[in-house]
Amino acid sequence: MTVKQILKDNHSILLKKWFQATIDTYPAQSAKILGKDVDRFDNPVGAVTRETLEDILHLLADDYTADTLEKALDPVIRIRAVQAFSAAEAVSFIFALKNIGETIMDSAFAREFDRMVDQVVLAGFNRLMKCREDIFLLKATESKRRIHAAFERAGLVQELKEEDLLGSKKS
Amino acid sequence: MADELTPDELLDKIDYGADSGNWMDTTKSVQIRPGMYCYAAKAESVETLGLPNARPWNPVEEDWKLPDDWQQILHEGIKVRLERFRTFKIFMDVCVRCGACADKCHFFLGTGDPKNMPVLRAELLRSVYRNDFTTAGKILQNIPGGQRLGGNRPLTIDVLKEMWYYFFQCTECRRCSVFCPYGIDTAEITIMARELFNLIGLNIDWIATPVSNCYQTGNHLGIQPHAFKDMLEFFVEDLEDITGVDCTPNFQKKGADILFITPSGDVFADPGTYTCQGYLILFKYLKDKYGLDVTWSTYASEGGNFGFFTSHETMKRLNAKMYAEAKRLGVKWILGGECGHMWRVIHQYMDTMNGPADFLEVPVNPITGTRFDNAASTKMVHITEFTADLIKHGKLELDKGRNANRIMTFHDSCNPARGMGLLDEPRYVIKSVCDNFYEMPPNTIRENTFCCGSGSGLNAGENMELRMAGALPRATALKHVHEKYGVNTLGTICAIDRAALTTLCEYWVPDVEVAGVHELVGNALILPGEKERTEDLRMEPLPGCEEEE
Repeated sequence: MTVKQILKDNHSILLKKWFQATIDTYPAQSAKILGKDVDRFDNPVGAVTRETLEDILHLLADDYTADTLEKALDPVIRIRAVQAFSAAEAVSFIFALKNIGETIMDSAFAREFDRMVDQVVLAGFNRLMKCREDIFLLKATESKRRIHAAFERAGLVQELKEEDLLGSKKS
Repeated sequence: MADELTPDELLDKIDYGADSGNWMDTTKSVQIRPGMYCYAAKAESVETLGLPNARPWNPVEEDWKLPDDWQQILHEGIKVRLERFRTFKIFMDVCVRCGACADKCHFFLGTGDPKNMPVLRAELLRSVYRNDFTTAGKILQNIPGGQRLGGNRPLTIDVLKEMWYYFFQCTECRRCSVFCPYGIDTAEITIMARELFNLIGLNIDWIATPVSNCYQTGNHLGIQPHAFKDMLEFFVEDLEDITGVDCTPNFQKKGADILFITPSGDVFADPGTYTCQGYLILFKYLKDKYGLDVTWSTYASEGGNFGFFTSHETMKRLNAKMYAEAKRLGVKWILGGECGHMWRVIHQYMDTMNGPADFLEVPVNPITGTRFDNAASTKMVHITEFTADLIKHGKLELDKGRNANRIMTFHDSCNPARGMGLLDEPRYVIKSVCDNFYEMPPNTIRENTFCCGSGSGLNAGENMELRMAGALPRATALKHVHEKYGVNTLGTICAIDRAALTTLCEYWVPDVEVAGVHELVGNALILPGEKERTEDLRMEPLPGCEEEE
């Protein structure tokens, strides 16, 4: 028996508990609605959260790298990055996986599982920073566009194109 | 009766968990969080309009610099409006808190904040109404625990701040009202709340300054007439490069057939500018082929009306210039561009505010003979109705191949869709100028459309987190068609949308561009005497004209 095998065998229960723990990070009145399993377009937070957590569990039960974890976490972190969470609260749902892990595996496996969860947390934190940077860049880009458009129309910046001004986005 | 619950199952549904807090308690929730609120109105903008309590203030500071008798002003303000607007009175009384609207709001779905459930947002104001204006409320407030029992709250500074915070987290999109069994128009509750805020100087700057500019200079950005004309002339130069045809428009032409009014965003903000170029191409085509004379105006140079987000009186003042200019120029009727809230103002308020416009004719398309009876009263026709009519009668020569690189979907803008029922004409136009069109899921389009998250004056930069959270439901549907059908362009008929959805795409669905419907028309329309086109209106190579790398 390996941790990966335990994760495969207990996929459904892990997902159910982890999803509930994640949704419970929202205020109780909201969690009742966001936790419903309805059409994904009627409840995008619930649907995206469930799908993302499922992807992460599959990755942990299979092969993963820091990059694949971060990419898989993107949809849910991207949402939490614009909601009323502090940085710690935004990624805290990942730690819940440790407690859930303890309920289904003995301590030797649980320690190994904890280390796996730590990697997910780090990937989550990376992605949160990236999303927050995206938000600040959007603010900057909108301002730059407005200012640049005004200068261009006044004939003051013939040479400098919008793409040059927005170059920082590519890096 | 297998679908009936057993007593045990019913008991299981009772939540014995800890109470997560009562919504009436403001101590925790009045956290004016950066990223979620818009900056306060500049004093000079409030002054220009002659609105009360012009002064610098900051929502995150303790002291909002309110007049000493602010409670009395608001109390009187509510009283006057309850008597003046029957809808407001009914909407305050009739809600049974069924919760049908709760999960229909894009801001609730995106933020997960329970106070963004439309019912609870409205309760913030209703609780004050119940306390101060209903008999039951007046009795209950004298009984210990009575206020909580009745859901009444006295109008304290915390209650006011909470209302301000959340009524500027509503875009007045009216999606919730589609699902309300009583037909409560929650947008009207927000409209009333914002009107009340303006009585004590609590507007946001992204509304107040455009309104002030519009009132003083003629458009939201405060662009003066000569600069407005210059911009259109820049477009004419670009269009001559692209098509080889001079599309110079008329300005303030007396005796023209039609006055054209569009939001100034089309003239000054990408990608709306390409839509604007589409209008210029269309009007040139109609002039050369059919002799139709359309004029623009630098006086009525703003179709949008942020007065709508301020007060009825302010909306009326800004709207009046449309009729005034139409009368001065002696046109037959008015054609309106691709805009969102402009159309709710025109369709639902203009005629009773500034009408009847007896000096104008019931709009008839002189080229097809179609009489627009839907606009018989306002005398103002939406350009997609007009263009759809021309296409339907085979009056436009179109080359769809020029839009072959566009795989389209269409975002119904809230106000044209829910405010005037304009659902099929834009789709008909898009399908007539482009072969690739895929709808987003049915619960996210037409009457059920999700807001862009930036309407009703909330398209500022400082509230980006709010805008992106509110955009989530629309983005989820867009991402779906992007991944399933390869959709690369989101068509829309609203100037705010063209700006807001561009940013939405950058955050949520980076490979999708935003385009106005008449940008596509401008690409496809074959102008008499045009050269062989190799570029689209964005000056990017047309399909088949790409240089080999």
